[in-house]
Amino acid sequence: MTSNQVNEYRRRFMAGLGLAAGATLAPNFILRSAQAADVVARPDNEPASSAKRWGMLIDANRLTDGGASMVEACKREHGWGNDPQASAEQQPQWMRVVKVTDKHTKHSFTLPVMCQHCENPPCVDVCPTGASMKRADGIVYVNKHTCIGCRYCMMACPYKARSFVHEPLKDQKPHSPRGMGTVESCNLCVHRIDKGQLPACVEAAPHAVIFGDLNDPESRISQALKALGGTQIRADLGLNTGVRYLNI
Amino acid sequence: MFSTLKSILGVVACAWILVGCEAAPPPTNLAPAKEKAAQCVEPTEDIRKNHMAYLMQHRDATVIEGIRTKQHSLVECINCHVTPTRADGSAVHYEDKDHFCASCHTYAGVKIDCFQCHADRPDLASQTNYQHKLGSAESYHFSTKLSASPALSAQDMQAITSGVVQ
Ligand code: SF4
Ligand code: SF4
Repeated sequence: MTSNQVNEYRRRFMAGLGLAAGATLAPNFILRSAQAADVVARPDNEPASSAKRWGMLIDANRLTDGGASMVEACKREHGWGNDPQASAEQQPQWMRVVKVTDKHTKHSFTLPVMCQHCENPPCVDVCPTGASMKRADGIVYVNKHTCIGCRYCMMACPYKARSFVHEPLKDQKPHSPRGMGTVESCNLCVHRIDKGQLPACVEAAPHAVIFGDLNDPESRISQALKALGGTQIRADLGLNTGVRYLNI
Repeated sequence: MFSTLKSILGVVACAWILVGCEAAPPPTNLAPAKEKAAQCVEPTEDIRKNHMAYLMQHRDATVIEGIRTKQHSLVECINCHVTPTRADGSAVHYEDKDHFCASCHTYAGVKIDCFQCHADRPDLASQTNYQHKLGSAESYHFSTKLSASPALSAQDMQAITSGVVQ
């Protein structure tokens, strides 16, 4: 068996398990864990379609480490965070752990914050070259071939989700090109989603995250959102984010 | 006696220095790459002249639309044509004359900026489908020519084990 076949087998096995479990549970019970079956691979020659919109639901209560392992997984996957000449403030940051404390009650919690993949992304609005773009399936990222490094999008993003690469780099990950003079941010692991894999950070915290298609009312993420709700950070901005949180 | 010794030493030293001069960087070995070019994703003449157009078209289709076919993908060019390391284990980068892309770009005086962002050599550690020239699992390069899995000749085996094959 090649490793692909093994994965395929596992996927089907897990999907089978999911069905079996679903049948015995009350219908409104939501299994809160990421499953590979939530993402279906698209054929290589097929463009991304607006029939789908990818999203993520993160349960802050279930993140025992506050999201640190998700950040680590993202660093490993894309190779950011250790640019050799950048100072600590200059290091790119695709995802970070944010601590929030209520001034009155002193109650505090942490949540991982990355690009929220807004439906109406301000970063795309302000980009003078069209390099900051939203793909048909709702993923927002930077087309570095046309990015001129003006950093308007960094200013426009209400979530401080974007970073700038300050120095020449070498030995980038082949699936994740990064280079001096361009802006970068979480791209929802677009290279993995297209292959039918979960984003790296989701894989690192499977018990706390559900990933899937927000446009499909039958998808587990849509059902979870319907049953449990889910918070957008800065919902007042009306950006309709693709990343939602529970228990924040 | 002493002066004879001195002159002999001088000659030896001169010879030593001359030998040192001759030990220029080893010539670029393009044989494996040339061999592969014969079975490139497009006819050799075409790909030599038009690879940039293919790449440009492919990059837009991939980044903007999400089309991820492999035929004209830069990562696949690198996988096939660039060795991850030299025989001595050192890294080969676009700045080096013996890098596959640089070997021609330097000659033609063409400076490209692909490798300011893109990896200029395969990342073996994280890339499971790195294509070895022979017997690659993803053999779309050869699919038109080979129906069964390619049998390795004794010569192939020797080439592989000697580390000559990129
Ligand atoms: S979170 Fe920021 S970078 Fe991401 S889509 Fe919204 S505005 Fe753009
Ligand atoms: S989806 Fe991918 S790029 Fe985005 S934060 Fe997670 S690991 Fe990083």
